[in-house]
Amino acid sequence: MKLLNRSTLLMPVILLLSIAGLACGQSAYEYGPNSQRQEGVPQGKVSQYRWENSNVFPGTERDYWIYVPAQYDASKPTCVMVFNDGGGYVRDNGHSRVPIVFDNLIHQGKMPVTIGVFVNPGVIPAEQSGGKPRRNRSFEYDSLGDLYARFLIEELLPEVGKQYNLTDKAEGRAICGLSSGGICAFTAAWERPQYFSKVVSYIGSFTNIRGGHVYPAVIRKTEKKPIRVFLQEGNTDLDNLFGNWPLANEQMAAALKYAGYDYQFVMGTEGHSGRHGGTILPEILEWLWRDHPNNPAASK
Amino acid sequence: MKNMLAMIVMLSGLTLASQAQDLPISQIMIEGESWELIAEGYQFTEGPAVNAEGEIYFTDVPASKIYKVSLDGEVSLFSDQANKTAGLMFGADGMLYGTSIGGKAIVKFDKQGTPTAIAEGVDCNDLVVLADGNVFFTDHVNGKVWNVSPKRELKEVAAEIAFPNGLIAWPDQKQLVVADMRGKHLWNFVIAADGSLKHKQPYSTMQLPVGKTESGADGMAVDQIGRLYVCTELGVQVFDTQGRLSGTLSKPQQAFLSNVTFGGTEMNYLYATSQDKVFRRKLNTTGIRYTK
Repeated sequence: MKLLNRSTLLMPVILLLSIAGLACGQSAYEYGPNSQRQEGVPQGKVSQYRWENSNVFPGTERDYWIYVPAQYDASKPTCVMVFNDGGGYVRDNGHSRVPIVFDNLIHQGKMPVTIGVFVNPGVIPAEQSGGKPRRNRSFEYDSLGDLYARFLIEELLPEVGKQYNLTDKAEGRAICGLSSGGICAFTAAWERPQYFSKVVSYIGSFTNIRGGHVYPAVIRKTEKKPIRVFLQEGNTDLDNLFGNWPLANEQMAAALKYAGYDYQFVMGTEGHSGRHGGTILPEILEWLWRDHPNNPAASK
Repeated sequence: MKNMLAMIVMLSGLTLASQAQDLPISQIMIEGESWELIAEGYQFTEGPAVNAEGEIYFTDVPASKIYKVSLDGEVSLFSDQANKTAGLMFGADGMLYGTSIGGKAIVKFDKQGTPTAIAEGVDCNDLVVLADGNVFFTDHVNGKVWNVSPKRELKEVAAEIAFPNGLIAWPDQKQLVVADMRGKHLWNFVIAADGSLKHKQPYSTMQLPVGKTESGADGMAVDQIGRLYVCTELGVQVFDTQGRLSGTLSKPQQAFLSNVTFGGTEMNYLYATSQDKVFRRKLNTTGIRYTK
Protein backbone atom coordinates (compact mmCIF):
# COMPACT_ATOMS: atom_id res chain seq x y z
CA MET A 1 0.00 0.00 0.00
CA LYS A 2 2.80 2.32 0.92
CA LEU A 3 4.32 1.88 -2.54
CA LEU A 4 1.07 2.68 -4.28
CA ASN A 5 0.77 5.86 -2.29
CA ARG A 6 4.24 6.85 -3.38
CA SER A 7 3.31 6.29 -7.02
CA THR A 8 0.22 8.39 -6.84
CA LEU A 9 2.13 11.15 -5.08
CA LEU A 10 4.88 11.42 -7.64
CA MET A 11 2.69 11.66 -10.75
CA PRO A 12 0.93 14.96 -9.95
CA VAL A 13 4.24 16.55 -8.94
CA ILE A 14 5.77 15.67 -12.28
CA LEU A 15 2.66 16.81 -14.17
CA LEU A 16 2.58 20.07 -12.26
CA LEU A 17 6.24 20.71 -13.03
CA SER A 18 5.54 20.06 -16.71
CA ILE A 19 2.57 22.40 -16.87
CA ALA A 20 4.52 25.07 -14.97
CA GLY A 21 7.30 24.77 -17.51
CA LEU A 22 4.91 25.14 -20.45
CA ALA A 23 3.17 28.15 -18.88
CA CYS A 24 6.51 29.92 -18.64
CA GLY A 25 6.85 29.53 -22.40
CA GLN A 26 9.71 27.10 -21.98
CA SER A 27 10.29 23.52 -23.05
CA ALA A 28 7.94 21.14 -21.31
CA TYR A 29 10.80 19.74 -19.27
CA GLU A 30 13.35 21.96 -17.58
CA TYR A 31 16.19 20.97 -15.30
CA GLY A 32 15.59 21.63 -11.62
CA PRO A 33 18.15 22.68 -9.01
CA ASN A 34 19.20 19.08 -8.35
CA SER A 35 20.35 18.84 -11.97
CA GLN A 36 22.54 21.91 -11.62
CA ARG A 37 25.81 22.50 -9.84
CA GLN A 38 25.18 23.89 -6.36
CA GLU A 39 27.73 25.79 -4.35
CA GLY A 40 29.16 23.92 -1.42
CA VAL A 41 28.23 20.48 -2.77
CA PRO A 42 31.26 18.18 -2.91
CA GLN A 43 31.93 16.93 -6.42
CA GLY A 44 32.62 13.33 -7.26
CA LYS A 45 35.32 12.31 -9.70
CA VAL A 46 34.74 10.89 -13.18
CA SER A 47 37.45 8.86 -14.91
CA GLN A 48 37.37 7.39 -18.40
CA TYR A 49 38.45 3.86 -19.32
CA ARG A 50 38.41 1.54 -22.29
CA TRP A 51 37.39 -2.14 -22.39
CA GLU A 52 38.84 -4.17 -25.25
CA ASN A 53 38.95 -7.77 -24.08
CA SER A 54 35.38 -8.96 -23.76
CA ASN A 55 34.80 -12.70 -23.97
CA VAL A 56 31.02 -12.30 -23.96
CA PHE A 57 31.13 -9.95 -26.97
CA PRO A 58 34.35 -11.04 -28.71
CA GLY A 59 36.18 -8.38 -30.67
CA THR A 60 34.27 -5.46 -29.17
CA GLU A 61 35.87 -2.26 -27.94
CA ARG A 62 34.11 0.39 -25.86
CA ASP A 63 34.61 3.37 -23.61
CA TYR A 64 33.33 3.44 -20.06
CA TRP A 65 33.47 5.92 -17.22
CA ILE A 66 33.44 5.54 -13.45
CA TYR A 67 31.95 8.22 -11.21
CA VAL A 68 33.12 8.06 -7.60
CA PRO A 69 31.27 10.32 -5.17
CA ALA A 70 33.29 12.54 -2.84
CA GLN A 71 31.69 10.71 0.11
CA TYR A 72 32.97 7.31 -1.06
CA ASP A 73 34.54 5.34 1.79
CA ALA A 74 36.67 2.42 0.65
CA SER A 75 35.97 0.55 3.85
CA LYS A 76 32.24 0.35 3.14
CA PRO A 77 30.53 -1.80 0.48
CA THR A 78 29.08 0.80 -1.88
CA CYS A 79 26.01 0.86 -4.11
CA VAL A 80 26.53 0.86 -7.87
CA MET A 81 24.38 2.06 -10.75
CA VAL A 82 25.10 1.16 -14.39
CA PHE A 83 24.11 3.47 -17.25
CA ASN A 84 23.87 2.07 -20.78
CA ASP A 85 24.92 4.45 -23.58
CA GLY A 86 26.98 5.82 -20.70
CA GLY A 87 28.66 8.56 -22.72
CA GLY A 88 25.34 10.41 -22.93
CA TYR A 89 24.56 10.07 -19.22
CA VAL A 90 27.94 11.05 -17.82
CA ARG A 91 28.28 14.44 -19.45
CA ASP A 92 27.57 17.50 -17.29
CA ASN A 93 25.68 19.00 -20.24
CA GLY A 94 24.06 15.74 -21.38
CA HIS A 95 20.40 14.78 -21.14
CA SER A 96 20.71 13.48 -17.57
CA ARG A 97 23.79 15.12 -15.99
CA VAL A 98 24.16 12.12 -13.71
CA PRO A 99 27.34 13.18 -11.86
CA ILE A 100 25.70 16.51 -10.91
CA VAL A 101 22.48 14.82 -9.83
CA PHE A 102 24.38 12.19 -7.82
CA ASP A 103 26.51 14.90 -6.15
CA ASN A 104 23.42 16.83 -5.09
CA LEU A 105 21.29 13.90 -3.93
CA ILE A 106 24.10 12.16 -2.06
CA HIS A 107 25.00 15.47 -0.37
CA GLN A 108 21.38 15.96 0.66
CA GLY A 109 21.12 12.40 1.93
CA LYS A 110 18.39 11.54 -0.57
CA MET A 111 20.17 8.53 -2.03
CA PRO A 112 22.95 6.27 -0.82
CA VAL A 113 26.58 6.90 -1.71
CA THR A 114 26.63 5.28 -5.15
CA ILE A 115 29.31 4.62 -7.73
CA GLY A 116 28.19 5.27 -11.30
CA VAL A 117 29.42 3.06 -14.16
CA PHE A 118 28.68 4.53 -17.59
CA VAL A 119 29.13 2.05 -20.43
CA ASN A 120 28.99 2.62 -24.14
CA PRO A 121 27.88 -0.14 -26.50
CA GLY A 122 30.64 -2.09 -28.21
CA VAL A 123 32.03 -1.67 -31.67
CA ILE A 124 33.93 -4.35 -33.59
CA PRO A 125 36.46 -2.52 -35.74
CA ALA A 126 37.31 -3.72 -39.24
CA GLU A 127 40.68 -5.44 -39.58
CA GLN A 128 41.55 -3.76 -42.86
CA SER A 129 41.71 -0.08 -43.69
CA GLY A 130 38.59 1.34 -45.31
CA GLY A 131 36.32 -1.17 -43.56
CA LYS A 132 33.29 -0.13 -41.59
CA PRO A 133 33.08 -1.17 -37.95
CA ARG A 134 30.37 -3.60 -36.90
CA ARG A 135 28.21 -1.60 -34.52
CA ASN A 136 27.16 -3.87 -31.69
CA ARG A 137 24.62 -1.64 -29.95
CA SER A 138 21.48 -3.29 -31.29
CA PHE A 139 22.89 -6.80 -30.78
CA GLU A 140 23.87 -6.05 -27.18
CA TYR A 141 20.86 -3.95 -26.19
CA ASP A 142 17.88 -5.24 -28.19
CA SER A 143 18.58 -8.98 -27.93
CA LEU A 144 16.71 -10.86 -25.24
CA GLY A 145 18.72 -13.24 -23.10
CA ASP A 146 21.52 -12.99 -20.58
CA LEU A 147 24.52 -11.95 -22.69
CA TYR A 148 24.55 -8.31 -21.64
CA ALA A 149 23.94 -9.17 -17.98
CA ARG A 150 26.84 -11.61 -18.17
CA PHE A 151 29.06 -8.98 -19.77
CA LEU A 152 28.42 -6.68 -16.81
CA ILE A 153 28.45 -9.31 -14.07
CA GLU A 154 31.35 -11.43 -15.29
CA GLU A 155 33.53 -8.82 -16.95
CA LEU A 156 32.99 -5.14 -16.41
CA LEU A 157 31.78 -4.83 -12.81
CA PRO A 158 34.47 -7.19 -11.47
CA GLU A 159 36.98 -4.90 -13.18
CA VAL A 160 35.43 -1.87 -11.43
CA GLY A 161 35.38 -3.92 -8.24
CA LYS A 162 39.17 -4.26 -8.35
CA GLN A 163 39.42 -0.53 -7.71
CA TYR A 164 36.34 0.13 -5.61
CA ASN A 165 34.50 -1.61 -2.82
CA LEU A 166 31.20 -2.50 -4.50
CA THR A 167 28.27 -4.01 -2.62
CA ASP A 168 27.56 -7.70 -3.17
CA LYS A 169 23.83 -7.24 -2.62
CA ALA A 170 21.20 -6.88 -5.35
CA GLU A 171 19.43 -4.15 -3.38
CA GLY A 172 22.50 -1.98 -3.91
CA ARG A 173 22.68 -2.46 -7.70
CA ALA A 174 20.66 -0.50 -10.27
CA ILE A 175 20.76 -0.23 -14.06
CA CYS A 176 19.45 2.53 -16.32
CA GLY A 177 19.20 3.19 -20.03
CA LEU A 178 17.19 4.88 -22.75
CA SER A 179 15.61 3.56 -25.94
CA SER A 180 17.35 0.24 -26.71
CA GLY A 181 19.46 0.87 -23.61
CA GLY A 182 16.20 1.00 -21.65
CA ILE A 183 14.98 -2.45 -22.67
CA CYS A 184 18.56 -3.63 -22.15
CA ALA A 185 18.48 -2.40 -18.54
CA PHE A 186 15.23 -4.30 -17.99
CA THR A 187 16.61 -7.42 -19.68
CA ALA A 188 19.73 -7.41 -17.49
CA ALA A 189 17.61 -7.32 -14.32
CA TRP A 190 15.02 -9.74 -15.70
CA GLU A 191 17.76 -12.28 -16.47
CA ARG A 192 19.70 -11.67 -13.22
CA PRO A 193 17.26 -10.35 -10.61
CA GLN A 194 19.50 -11.72 -7.87
CA TYR A 195 22.11 -9.27 -9.15
CA PHE A 196 20.22 -6.14 -10.32
CA SER A 197 17.16 -5.13 -8.31
CA LYS A 198 16.48 -1.69 -9.74
CA VAL A 199 15.71 -0.63 -13.32
CA VAL A 200 15.21 2.77 -14.91
CA SER A 201 14.10 3.02 -18.54
CA TYR A 202 13.50 6.19 -20.53
CA ILE A 203 11.64 5.74 -23.84
CA GLY A 204 12.41 2.02 -23.63
CA SER A 205 12.32 0.02 -26.87
CA PHE A 206 9.92 -2.69 -25.71
CA THR A 207 9.18 -3.22 -29.39
CA ASN A 208 10.07 -5.82 -31.98
CA ILE A 209 13.59 -4.75 -32.84
CA ARG A 210 14.86 -8.15 -31.78
CA GLY A 211 11.82 -9.64 -30.09
CA GLY A 212 11.47 -7.39 -27.02
CA HIS A 213 7.77 -6.80 -27.68
CA VAL A 214 7.02 -10.08 -25.91
CA TYR A 215 7.91 -8.79 -22.44
CA PRO A 216 4.42 -7.64 -21.37
CA ALA A 217 3.04 -11.09 -22.15
CA VAL A 218 5.97 -12.85 -20.49
CA ILE A 219 5.83 -10.66 -17.36
CA ARG A 220 2.17 -11.56 -16.85
CA LYS A 221 2.87 -15.29 -16.94
CA THR A 222 6.12 -15.38 -14.95
CA GLU A 223 6.42 -15.58 -11.19
CA LYS A 224 7.17 -12.06 -9.98
CA LYS A 225 10.84 -11.23 -9.78
CA PRO A 226 12.35 -8.95 -7.12
CA ILE A 227 12.83 -6.01 -9.48
CA ARG A 228 11.76 -2.40 -9.04
CA VAL A 229 11.11 -0.63 -12.35
CA PHE A 230 10.75 3.01 -13.39
CA LEU A 231 9.45 3.59 -16.92
CA GLN A 232 9.39 7.01 -18.59
CA GLU A 233 7.74 7.41 -22.00
CA GLY A 234 6.48 10.21 -24.26
CA ASN A 235 3.20 10.23 -26.15
CA THR A 236 4.88 11.54 -29.31
CA ASP A 237 7.52 8.80 -29.29
CA LEU A 238 8.28 6.55 -32.26
CA ASP A 239 5.77 4.57 -34.28
CA ASN A 240 7.72 2.59 -36.88
CA LEU A 241 8.46 -0.86 -38.30
CA PHE A 242 9.52 -2.11 -34.89
CA GLY A 243 6.37 -1.00 -33.11
CA ASN A 244 4.69 1.86 -31.31
CA TRP A 245 6.78 3.03 -28.34
CA PRO A 246 4.01 4.70 -26.30
CA LEU A 247 1.73 1.66 -26.66
CA ALA A 248 4.58 -0.72 -25.88
CA ASN A 249 5.42 1.16 -22.68
CA GLU A 250 1.74 1.28 -21.72
CA GLN A 251 1.68 -2.49 -22.15
CA MET A 252 4.80 -2.85 -20.01
CA ALA A 253 3.29 -0.71 -17.27
CA ALA A 254 0.02 -2.62 -17.37
CA ALA A 255 1.84 -5.94 -17.20
CA LEU A 256 4.01 -4.79 -14.27
CA LYS A 257 0.88 -3.63 -12.50
CA TYR A 258 -0.96 -6.87 -13.22
CA ALA A 259 1.96 -8.96 -11.94
CA GLY A 260 2.23 -6.88 -8.78
CA TYR A 261 5.55 -5.19 -9.39
CA ASP A 262 6.91 -2.18 -7.53
CA TYR A 263 6.92 0.14 -10.53
CA GLN A 264 6.35 3.70 -11.71
CA PHE A 265 5.20 4.78 -15.14
CA VAL A 266 5.32 8.38 -16.33
CA MET A 267 3.91 9.29 -19.74
CA GLY A 268 5.06 12.71 -20.92
CA THR A 269 4.89 14.63 -24.15
CA GLU A 270 8.42 14.30 -25.50
CA GLY A 271 9.36 12.25 -28.54
CA HIS A 272 12.30 9.90 -28.75
CA SER A 273 14.67 11.87 -26.55
CA GLY A 274 16.25 11.67 -23.12
CA ARG A 275 15.06 15.13 -22.13
CA HIS A 276 12.03 14.26 -20.02
CA GLY A 277 13.70 11.32 -18.32
CA GLY A 278 16.79 13.43 -17.73
CA THR A 279 14.93 16.31 -16.11
CA ILE A 280 13.07 14.03 -13.67
CA LEU A 281 16.10 11.88 -12.87
CA PRO A 282 16.45 13.36 -9.35
CA GLU A 283 12.86 12.30 -8.53
CA ILE A 284 13.40 8.92 -10.18
CA LEU A 285 16.51 8.28 -8.08
CA GLU A 286 14.80 9.31 -4.85
CA TRP A 287 12.01 6.84 -5.60
CA LEU A 288 14.39 4.11 -6.74
CA TRP A 289 16.66 4.24 -3.68
CA ARG A 290 14.00 5.30 -1.15
CA ASP A 291 14.34 2.32 1.19
CA HIS A 292 17.99 1.33 0.78
CA PRO A 293 19.67 0.90 4.20
CA ASN A 294 22.54 3.21 3.16
CA ASN A 295 20.12 5.97 2.20
CA PRO A 296 19.90 8.55 5.00
CA ALA A 297 16.41 9.48 3.78
CA ALA A 298 15.25 5.90 4.30
CA SER A 299 15.86 5.98 8.03
CA LYS A 300 13.99 9.25 8.56
CA MET B 1 4.46 30.55 -29.62
CA LYS B 2 7.91 30.96 -31.09
CA ASN B 3 9.23 28.54 -28.50
CA MET B 4 6.48 26.07 -29.24
CA LEU B 5 7.38 26.25 -32.91
CA ALA B 6 11.05 25.73 -32.10
CA MET B 7 10.12 22.75 -30.01
CA ILE B 8 8.05 21.23 -32.82
CA VAL B 9 10.92 21.76 -35.26
CA MET B 10 13.30 20.20 -32.75
CA LEU B 11 10.98 17.26 -32.15
CA SER B 12 10.47 16.59 -35.84
CA GLY B 13 14.24 16.82 -36.29
CA LEU B 14 14.74 14.22 -33.60
CA THR B 15 12.13 11.97 -35.15
CA LEU B 16 13.75 12.30 -38.56
CA ALA B 17 17.17 11.54 -37.12
CA SER B 18 15.92 8.37 -35.52
CA GLN B 19 13.97 7.36 -38.62
CA ALA B 20 17.13 7.72 -40.67
CA GLN B 21 18.45 4.67 -38.83
CA ASP B 22 15.35 2.66 -39.56
CA LEU B 23 15.08 0.93 -42.90
CA PRO B 24 11.56 -0.43 -43.29
CA ILE B 25 11.05 -2.46 -46.47
CA SER B 26 8.50 0.14 -47.57
CA GLN B 27 11.56 2.23 -48.51
CA ILE B 28 12.66 -0.29 -51.13
CA MET B 29 9.31 -1.43 -52.49
CA ILE B 30 7.75 0.36 -55.46
CA GLU B 31 4.00 0.76 -55.78
CA GLY B 32 2.67 -1.58 -58.47
CA GLU B 33 5.93 -3.51 -58.82
CA SER B 34 6.05 -7.19 -57.97
CA TRP B 35 7.79 -10.35 -59.09
CA GLU B 36 7.76 -10.93 -62.86
CA LEU B 37 8.62 -14.21 -64.54
CA ILE B 38 11.86 -14.13 -66.52
CA ALA B 39 12.51 -17.76 -67.42
CA GLU B 40 10.99 -21.18 -66.72
CA GLY B 41 11.17 -24.86 -67.54
CA TYR B 42 14.28 -25.80 -65.57
CA GLN B 43 14.88 -28.48 -62.94
CA PHE B 44 16.45 -26.48 -60.10
CA THR B 45 17.63 -22.92 -60.68
CA GLU B 46 20.39 -21.39 -58.55
CA GLY B 47 23.32 -19.00 -58.41
CA PRO B 48 22.09 -15.82 -60.13
CA ALA B 49 25.13 -13.68 -60.91
CA VAL B 50 25.48 -10.27 -62.55
CA ASN B 51 28.22 -9.28 -64.99
CA ALA B 52 29.62 -5.79 -65.63
CA GLU B 53 26.84 -5.04 -68.12
CA GLY B 54 24.06 -5.98 -65.72
CA GLU B 55 23.21 -9.27 -67.47
CA ILE B 56 22.22 -12.22 -65.32
CA TYR B 57 23.67 -15.72 -65.39
CA PHE B 58 22.04 -18.61 -63.55
CA THR B 59 22.51 -22.36 -63.30
CA ASP B 60 20.18 -25.29 -63.62
CA VAL B 61 22.04 -27.46 -61.10
CA PRO B 62 20.87 -31.02 -61.95
CA ALA B 63 21.22 -30.32 -65.69
CA SER B 64 24.75 -28.94 -65.21
CA LYS B 65 23.95 -25.99 -67.44
CA ILE B 66 24.51 -22.27 -67.04
CA TYR B 67 22.28 -19.77 -68.83
CA LYS B 68 22.58 -16.11 -69.57
CA VAL B 69 19.68 -13.64 -69.53
CA SER B 70 20.43 -10.66 -71.76
CA LEU B 71 19.28 -7.14 -70.93
CA ASP B 72 16.28 -7.58 -73.22
CA GLY B 73 15.31 -10.82 -71.48
CA GLU B 74 16.66 -13.29 -74.04
CA VAL B 75 17.81 -16.55 -72.43
CA SER B 76 20.77 -18.39 -74.01
CA LEU B 77 23.01 -21.28 -72.99
CA PHE B 78 26.41 -20.17 -71.64
CA SER B 79 27.87 -23.51 -70.55
CA ASP B 80 26.87 -27.15 -70.57
CA GLN B 81 29.95 -28.17 -68.61
CA ALA B 82 28.81 -26.89 -65.25
CA ASN B 83 29.09 -30.25 -63.44
CA LYS B 84 26.38 -29.36 -60.93
CA THR B 85 27.57 -25.86 -60.24
CA ALA B 86 25.33 -24.23 -57.64
CA GLY B 87 26.82 -20.85 -56.68
CA LEU B 88 28.00 -18.28 -59.21
CA MET B 89 29.58 -14.84 -59.02
CA PHE B 90 31.56 -12.65 -61.38
CA GLY B 91 34.95 -11.50 -60.17
CA ALA B 92 36.35 -8.01 -60.65
CA ASP B 93 38.38 -9.62 -63.47
CA GLY B 94 35.15 -10.06 -65.43
CA MET B 95 35.29 -13.85 -65.17
CA LEU B 96 32.55 -16.10 -63.86
CA TYR B 97 33.39 -18.21 -60.79
CA GLY B 98 31.34 -21.11 -59.49
CA THR B 99 31.04 -23.91 -56.97
CA SER B 100 30.98 -27.23 -58.76
CA ILE B 101 29.34 -29.73 -56.44
CA GLY B 102 29.76 -32.53 -58.98
CA GLY B 103 33.43 -31.72 -59.57
CA LYS B 104 34.10 -30.93 -55.91
CA ALA B 105 35.88 -27.84 -57.11
CA ILE B 106 35.82 -24.05 -57.18
CA VAL B 107 35.96 -23.19 -60.84
CA LYS B 108 36.51 -20.23 -63.12
CA PHE B 109 34.74 -20.22 -66.48
CA ASP B 110 36.35 -18.77 -69.57
CA LYS B 111 34.28 -16.76 -72.06
CA GLN B 112 33.34 -19.97 -73.90
CA GLY B 113 31.93 -21.51 -70.71
CA THR B 114 34.78 -23.95 -70.09
CA PRO B 115 35.63 -24.34 -66.40
CA THR B 116 39.09 -24.52 -64.84
CA ALA B 117 39.50 -25.46 -61.18
CA ILE B 118 41.08 -22.95 -58.82
CA ALA B 119 40.56 -25.26 -55.81
CA GLU B 120 39.91 -28.97 -55.90
CA GLY B 121 38.71 -31.77 -53.64
CA VAL B 122 36.30 -29.56 -51.75
CA ASP B 123 32.70 -29.81 -50.65
CA CYS B 124 31.09 -26.56 -51.67
CA ASN B 125 27.78 -24.77 -51.92
CA ASP B 126 27.92 -21.03 -52.59
CA LEU B 127 30.67 -18.44 -53.00
CA VAL B 128 31.64 -14.79 -53.07
CA VAL B 129 34.51 -13.33 -55.06
CA LEU B 130 36.00 -10.13 -53.69
CA ALA B 131 37.69 -7.48 -55.80
CA ASP B 132 41.11 -8.36 -54.36
CA GLY B 133 40.73 -11.92 -55.70
CA ASN B 134 39.87 -13.60 -52.40
CA VAL B 135 37.17 -16.23 -52.79
CA PHE B 136 35.09 -17.46 -49.86
CA PHE B 137 32.85 -20.47 -50.16
CA THR B 138 30.52 -22.41 -47.89
CA ASP B 139 30.90 -26.13 -47.22
CA HIS B 140 27.59 -27.37 -45.86
CA VAL B 141 28.84 -30.95 -45.63
CA ASN B 142 31.36 -30.08 -42.93
CA GLY B 143 29.72 -26.91 -41.59
CA LYS B 144 32.67 -24.79 -42.68
CA VAL B 145 33.69 -21.73 -44.67
CA TRP B 146 36.83 -21.77 -46.79
CA ASN B 147 39.04 -19.16 -48.39
CA VAL B 148 40.83 -19.44 -51.72
CA SER B 149 43.47 -16.73 -51.72
CA PRO B 150 44.43 -14.75 -54.85
CA LYS B 151 47.44 -17.13 -55.00
CA ARG B 152 44.96 -20.02 -54.95
CA GLU B 153 45.89 -21.30 -51.53
CA LEU B 154 43.01 -23.04 -49.82
CA LYS B 155 42.35 -22.66 -46.11
CA GLU B 156 39.53 -23.29 -43.66
CA VAL B 157 38.42 -19.98 -42.16
CA ALA B 158 35.28 -20.83 -40.17
CA ALA B 159 33.62 -23.90 -38.69
CA GLU B 160 30.76 -25.02 -36.49
CA ILE B 161 27.85 -23.61 -38.45
CA ALA B 162 25.07 -26.18 -38.77
CA PHE B 163 24.47 -25.69 -42.51
CA PRO B 164 26.39 -22.74 -43.98
CA ASN B 165 24.65 -21.93 -47.22
CA GLY B 166 24.42 -18.45 -48.75
CA LEU B 167 27.11 -15.88 -48.05
CA ILE B 168 27.82 -12.29 -49.00
CA ALA B 169 30.25 -9.50 -48.10
CA TRP B 170 29.37 -6.01 -46.93
CA PRO B 171 29.77 -3.31 -49.59
CA ASP B 172 33.18 -2.44 -48.09
CA GLN B 173 34.23 -6.12 -48.55
CA LYS B 174 35.73 -6.18 -45.06
CA GLN B 175 32.96 -8.18 -43.42
CA LEU B 176 31.50 -11.55 -44.43
CA VAL B 177 27.99 -12.76 -43.59
CA VAL B 178 27.05 -16.45 -43.73
CA ALA B 179 23.47 -17.76 -43.58
CA ASP B 180 22.73 -20.90 -41.58
CA MET B 181 20.02 -22.91 -43.33
CA ARG B 182 19.43 -25.23 -40.36
CA GLY B 183 19.59 -22.48 -37.76
CA LYS B 184 18.16 -19.03 -37.29
CA HIS B 185 21.25 -16.85 -37.49
CA LEU B 186 23.26 -14.90 -39.97
CA TRP B 187 26.87 -15.17 -38.82
CA ASN B 188 29.07 -12.12 -39.24
CA PHE B 189 32.85 -12.25 -39.56
CA VAL B 190 35.52 -9.58 -39.87
CA ILE B 191 37.74 -10.34 -42.89
CA ALA B 192 41.45 -10.02 -42.12
CA ALA B 193 43.98 -9.01 -44.76
CA ASP B 194 45.22 -12.62 -45.12
CA GLY B 195 41.70 -13.88 -45.85
CA SER B 196 41.14 -15.34 -42.40
CA LEU B 197 37.91 -14.58 -40.55
CA LYS B 198 37.61 -13.09 -37.07
CA HIS B 199 34.99 -12.25 -34.48
CA LYS B 200 32.25 -14.68 -35.48
CA GLN B 201 28.92 -13.39 -34.21
CA PRO B 202 25.24 -14.31 -34.68
CA TYR B 203 24.64 -10.67 -35.57
CA SER B 204 21.20 -11.16 -37.12
CA THR B 205 18.35 -13.47 -36.23
CA MET B 206 16.00 -14.58 -38.97
CA GLN B 207 12.30 -15.03 -38.55
CA LEU B 208 11.33 -18.70 -38.55
CA PRO B 209 8.16 -20.30 -39.90
CA VAL B 210 5.72 -21.04 -37.08
CA GLY B 211 6.57 -24.33 -35.41
CA LYS B 212 9.99 -24.67 -37.05
CA THR B 213 13.55 -24.28 -35.81
CA GLU B 214 15.19 -23.95 -39.22
CA SER B 215 15.24 -20.82 -41.36
CA GLY B 216 15.78 -22.59 -44.66
CA ALA B 217 18.19 -19.75 -45.46
CA ASP B 218 19.99 -19.91 -48.77
CA GLY B 219 21.42 -17.31 -51.14
CA MET B 220 22.11 -13.70 -50.19
CA ALA B 221 22.54 -10.29 -51.81
CA VAL B 222 23.60 -6.87 -50.54
CA ASP B 223 22.61 -3.40 -51.71
CA GLN B 224 24.43 -0.08 -51.93
CA ILE B 225 23.80 0.93 -48.33
CA GLY B 226 24.48 -2.50 -46.88
CA ARG B 227 21.02 -4.00 -46.51
CA LEU B 228 21.19 -7.79 -46.65
CA TYR B 229 18.70 -9.88 -48.63
CA VAL B 230 18.39 -13.50 -47.50
CA CYS B 231 16.32 -16.20 -49.19
CA THR B 232 14.40 -18.10 -46.53
CA GLU B 233 11.37 -20.32 -46.27
CA LEU B 234 9.27 -17.27 -45.36
CA GLY B 235 10.52 -15.12 -48.22
CA VAL B 236 13.36 -12.67 -48.79
CA GLN B 237 14.23 -11.42 -45.31
CA VAL B 238 15.84 -7.98 -45.41
CA PHE B 239 18.24 -6.84 -42.66
CA ASP B 240 19.55 -3.36 -41.93
CA THR B 241 23.16 -2.41 -41.32
CA GLN B 242 22.80 -2.97 -37.58
CA GLY B 243 21.69 -6.55 -38.17
CA ARG B 244 18.02 -5.86 -37.44
CA LEU B 245 15.24 -7.45 -39.49
CA SER B 246 13.64 -4.78 -41.68
CA GLY B 247 10.97 -7.05 -43.09
CA THR B 248 10.24 -9.88 -45.49
CA LEU B 249 9.47 -9.69 -49.21
CA SER B 250 7.09 -12.43 -50.26
CA LYS B 251 8.39 -15.33 -52.32
CA PRO B 252 7.80 -15.22 -56.09
CA GLN B 253 6.06 -18.61 -55.94
CA GLN B 254 5.17 -21.27 -53.38
CA ALA B 255 8.35 -23.23 -53.98
CA PHE B 256 11.89 -23.32 -52.69
CA LEU B 257 13.62 -19.94 -53.04
CA SER B 258 17.31 -20.60 -53.61
CA ASN B 259 19.06 -17.31 -54.31
CA VAL B 260 18.89 -13.61 -55.20
CA THR B 261 21.13 -11.04 -56.83
CA PHE B 262 20.81 -7.50 -58.13
CA GLY B 263 21.04 -6.96 -61.87
CA GLY B 264 20.04 -4.84 -64.84
CA THR B 265 21.86 -1.81 -66.22
CA GLU B 266 20.87 0.24 -63.20
CA MET B 267 21.36 -2.70 -60.80
CA ASN B 268 17.89 -2.02 -59.43
CA TYR B 269 16.25 -5.37 -60.20
CA LEU B 270 16.38 -8.19 -57.66
CA TYR B 271 16.62 -11.48 -59.55
CA ALA B 272 15.46 -14.63 -57.79
CA THR B 273 15.93 -18.30 -58.60
CA SER B 274 13.16 -20.59 -57.41
CA GLN B 275 12.93 -24.24 -58.38
CA ASP B 276 11.92 -24.31 -62.08
CA LYS B 277 11.81 -20.54 -62.63
CA VAL B 278 13.71 -17.25 -62.53
CA PHE B 279 11.95 -14.06 -61.48
CA ARG B 280 12.84 -10.43 -60.96
CA ARG B 281 11.33 -7.39 -59.30
CA LYS B 282 12.23 -3.73 -59.43
CA LEU B 283 13.26 -2.19 -56.14
CA ASN B 284 13.88 1.34 -55.00
CA THR B 285 17.54 0.59 -54.28
CA THR B 286 20.57 -0.62 -56.19
CA GLY B 287 22.86 -3.57 -55.74
CA ILE B 288 26.62 -3.51 -55.92
CA ARG B 289 29.46 -5.33 -57.62
CA TYR B 290 32.66 -5.76 -55.66
CA THR B 291 35.19 -3.43 -57.20
CA LYS B 292 38.49 -2.07 -55.94
